[in-house]
Amino acid sequence: MLGVAKERQRTRPPDRADALAEITLLDHEGRKVRLGDLWKDGPVALVWLRHYG
Amino acid sequence: MQLHRARSEFEAAGISLVLIGQGTPRQAAHFRRRFEIDLPVLADERRESYRAAGAKVATVGELLGPRSVRRGLMKSARSRGAIRQGKVIGHPAQLGGAMVVRRDGTVAWSHMSEDASDNASPAEILAAARTSAA
Repeated sequence: MLGVAKERQRTRPPDRADALAEITLLDHEGRKVRLGDLWKDGPVALVWLRHYG
Repeated sequence: MQLHRARSEFEAAGISLVLIGQGTPRQAAHFRRRFEIDLPVLADERRESYRAAGAKVATVGELLGPRSVRRGLMKSARSRGAIRQGKVIGHPAQLGGAMVVRRDGTVAWSHMSEDASDNASPAEILAAARTSAA
């Protein structure tokens, strides 16, 4: 149902964002954004939404 | 979505604020327009960054259990309707979270959701971000 997990999972936030840094996503205008570029000039707060709503 | 209202406070502290959602760039653009959000919104249809951030997929209980429903209703009531359940796009059981990353790539703070009602408040994220920027 709903693609739910059968067993309770643990969150696993990393100590370093190295794996995140290599990920490239598209922004709301379709432009490529490499996540590592977001913090190259200073700290960034990233917020992952459950869904757009 | 309350976070975008704190944008100026993040900017004053020298911290960028970026939202990431499940979906396409078009859906991200619609989300920005609908909620009048003047922030970058990234589209992660494959949920690649969710996995790399250590976010989890919820069980039925973590989505619809009494704790999640009760806390969700309380938050919605306290926000006078500003916080509400919207249309689900993407994986319905994927939970989100928040993270502050320093310039050197270290994770200064994180709060990944344990259930559907467990979200860091804008004030908590801002406080963590200010500490990391100090």
